[in-house]
Amino acid sequence: MAFQNRKKFCYFKENGITDINYKDVKLLRRFVNDQGKIMPRRITGTSAKMHRKLVRAIKRSRSIALMPYVERGSE
Amino acid sequence: MRYYETLYIVNPTLENEALDTTMGEIGTELEKTKSKLINHRVWGKKRLAYQIDKQKYGSYILLQFEGGEQDKMNEFDTWMKLNNTVLRHMTVALDDKPEIYVEDVKEEPASEESVKAITTETGEMSSTEETQTETQVSEETDTESEPSEEETPVSNEEELEEKEAE
Repeated sequence: MAFQNRKKFCYFKENGITDINYKDVKLLRRFVNDQGKIMPRRITGTSAKMHRKLVRAIKRSRSIALMPYVERGSE
Repeated sequence: MRYYETLYIVNPTLENEALDTTMGEIGTELEKTKSKLINHRVWGKKRLAYQIDKQKYGSYILLQFEGGEQDKMNEFDTWMKLNNTVLRHMTVALDDKPEIYVEDVKEEPASEESVKAITTETGEMSSTEETQTETQVSEETDTESEPSEEETPVSNEEELEEKEAE
């Protein structure tokens, strides 16, 4: 089925992105669930190196109120 | 020398003049650290992800500079904390020297991003074109490819049925 065949890939490697800016909220939103939690690497498929950068960027943008620490899911 | 970037949030209800004066104050305070100011501009009014001092919106202001004396940078940081017009601020070290922002060309960091975006878009575009051509080719050879595609889901369904039976 489609589940089994889907190959995970690193979004950043695929698109040639080497640096993740904390101000790029539109990009960071992809790697956060609707509660505002950072998605695990095993689900997103992000490479370890880029995941570390990603986490740093998300945490930075949280501290400056660009992204939420917690967000209630849609009710 | 290292380059730094401070992003700070100011109450959005401030009028333009008041905003200019606060920006001026912050600029002069930063000059005490002997830092060289590179960019100091309004990034825009945005909705905050969470309320700060019961404010839902905030004007984001971006300040980029070449680092001065370390001890005085701490003073600048505490000064920013004590400044009541600044809701929140954050200083981050930059990897490269920031480009000087020019008013006419909208957003110098955004231009880099847009270039990246364009490249990625074109990459996607070319790939889609390729897939389109492939589909066109495959349409011609439909008779060959279709039966094989039909076979696989059937086998999967059979597997599923087996699993269900178990």
